[in-house]
Amino acid sequence: MNKLFSLIKASMTEDMNIFKISTKKSNTFTKVFLPIILSIMIMSIMFSYSEMFMEVLVPIHMEFVLLTLFIMVTSIMTLVEGIYKSGNLLFNCRDDNLLLSLPIKKSTVLFIRVFKFYIFELLYNSIFLLPAMVCYAIHTNPNINYYVVSVIGLLLLPIIPILLSCIIGSVISYFSSKFKGKNYAQTIITMIFLLGIMYLSFNTNNLLNDIAKNASNINDFITKIYYPAGTFIELVNNYSFIKLSEFILVNLILFVITIILIGKIYFNINSSIKSVKTNKKNSNYLIKTNSPLKALIKKEFNRFINSTVFVTNAGFGLVLFIIGCIAIVIKYDDIIKMLMQSNIGLTIDFINNNLPILMFGLICFASFMTSITSSMISLEGKSFNILKSLPVNPFIIIKSKVLAAVLIMIPFMIIGDLIIFIRFGFDLLSIILLLIASILFPLISETIGIIVNLKYPRMDAKNDTEVVKQSMSSMISVFIGMGLLGVTIFLLYKLVDSNINSYLIMLILILVYAIIYLILNIYLNKTCEKSFNNIVV
Amino acid sequence: MIEIKNVTKKYGNKVALKDISFDVNDGEIFAFIGHNGAGKTTLIKSIVGIHDFDNGDILINGKSIKNNAIECKKEMAYVPDNPELYEGMKAIDFINFICDMYEVPQNIREKNITKYAKLFEIEDNLNDTIDSFSHGMKQKIAIIAALSHDPKILIMDEPFVGLDPKAVFDIKEIMKEMIKDGKIIFFSTHILDVAEKLCSRVAIIKKGELLKVGNMKEVKGDKSLEKVFLDLEG
Repeated sequence: MNKLFSLIKASMTEDMNIFKISTKKSNTFTKVFLPIILSIMIMSIMFSYSEMFMEVLVPIHMEFVLLTLFIMVTSIMTLVEGIYKSGNLLFNCRDDNLLLSLPIKKSTVLFIRVFKFYIFELLYNSIFLLPAMVCYAIHTNPNINYYVVSVIGLLLLPIIPILLSCIIGSVISYFSSKFKGKNYAQTIITMIFLLGIMYLSFNTNNLLNDIAKNASNINDFITKIYYPAGTFIELVNNYSFIKLSEFILVNLILFVITIILIGKIYFNINSSIKSVKTNKKNSNYLIKTNSPLKALIKKEFNRFINSTVFVTNAGFGLVLFIIGCIAIVIKYDDIIKMLMQSNIGLTIDFINNNLPILMFGLICFASFMTSITSSMISLEGKSFNILKSLPVNPFIIIKSKVLAAVLIMIPFMIIGDLIIFIRFGFDLLSIILLLIASILFPLISETIGIIVNLKYPRMDAKNDTEVVKQSMSSMISVFIGMGLLGVTIFLLYKLVDSNINSYLIMLILILVYAIIYLILNIYLNKTCEKSFNNIVV
Repeated sequence: MIEIKNVTKKYGNKVALKDISFDVNDGEIFAFIGHNGAGKTTLIKSIVGIHDFDNGDILINGKSIKNNAIECKKEMAYVPDNPELYEGMKAIDFINFICDMYEVPQNIREKNITKYAKLFEIEDNLNDTIDSFSHGMKQKIAIIAALSHDPKILIMDEPFVGLDPKAVFDIKEIMKEMIKDGKIIFFSTHILDVAEKLCSRVAIIKKGELLKVGNMKEVKGDKSLEKVFLDLEG
């Protein structure tokens, strides 16, 4: 037990410091206050959403539905993200050689990996769930049992989504390890899996509706589809020690069973992933000359496509953008019907007249919610010293990262644009403005990403997931992206509401963002060399 | 010529390099020796422009690495102690990448890559990705990449670690060949026998302070380099 405790302690102190940054000067603000401010901001937003829901739920005495919704959303987020994170967190880690050479069971190594995953998700889930739980307490004034159930629920609710994602991640890793291009295979299988989940979730709407109709109440409905949420709500509404014990036991037993099951194939998968399938002896290698910028961009592409979590994280949103565009084309009438029924005051004429504006919003969404560059410096890891020793201006190196990211994004944006342009026959001016937006917005998003990563690099991560999903840089970039998206949608709404011509609206926003891009570039040009040299590996 | 002038480097309150000064002349093989943690890698990283330093200056053929980093780097090649290369790249793509950064013309890179790949018996592996390589093979790739742009100054941190005896012999021969053209080889090592036989000058560093620097004969006198080193360190 002492051994296990020491292992967990060693591994936690090393890996859970998600706010660690690898620069010469890291002050108290970035180390302590920034994470706290960020967490408080997210929690405040979640609390505001909770209050909005409560306005509807309190009059009908169904306050517990708030908890159900938040549990469902965090569980789905944990599951979906966990699927592409788990392969990277469980297998082929940098400390494998150390841990696997120690006199401990292989299942212990697996346990430590899953446990670390659990602790991170627990923190992540708490930021979303705690505000809802507090909001519920304020409105219902519950007894002490509620607080006991909430604390235990907070600890137990991430377990099942994590275990499911570990199982799926292991299966994906197992099959992809059979291929020569393991990374590519893992990326493709993961993408297929995630898109499959999305397809199923869209197509189970009718099934869920049927269950909902047949269920006597919402609690029954939830219990039928998701045990942890159902049991938690049941405990909140009707506390029972036996039920609580059952809830704890079920989660713990599932945890142990999953560790035992994956443990049986863990070493096999890990060895298979590490085994190298080299090319046949071939001395016909290609010596080719490129300009420094082109060579740097090619290097960034290579790094990108070799990381499953990197590709999935960035690519999933972009693929969804195209799927969204196809869905608009195929199911346009259904979408119109849905918008009309949603009581947000939209008319058919309004939608038809403002289609370019809606597309503008969609481009904005896809661009600002994708940040590839926010991980690009951190992913260099120790090889960052290669870049530092090169006779190339740091600004060119940084620019190459932004260009590579934009070149990854733009094809997706243009394909989405073309699908919509062809179906709806936009006029030339709208097409030009939307194409400019499809290039300008990714440029802004990726320039912000690189500025943030220069400021908050994490150069000692054990795997790509720690950088792409669990680093300060990626979190801040997502947050800024969300802010920009919110501001743009708000401006679009206000400008449309003021009956301003749609061309003018797009032109105004493009001009504003072009100025922002210019300012960002001037800032990057001025500060990049200093920030680049401040990064310590 | 490398001129190290009163270089001081601190990590917080810890002094990693204390007022270090010495020169490395053209046509010299220069050994830089010291215990683990003595400051060897810190000085090497300062010379190649990876680290900055708090005081002093380092001049590469008369140009300051602080004020003219890119021009200085163009004249140097650096082989790190632990070759952290781009694991997902094919070896040949990595070497090409380094050549692109130094803007090496096609004919020169073809000549050099072919020559050194053959010498290190790694030409059959150049189409494999670097993550499939052993430490020694990665080290060979790092050395080929460094040599492919004909540097005037070759700086290596523990270059012999992990290499097979044939590769160690080949590197020593390359070093001898390079200094004939007036180039500079500056390297750190713990293999004192090699330093003693190969180098014309040596510097010994302890806890960031330069204990001794000079011609190999002057520094060691009648003793072996190992004996001198142990006496100074003791």
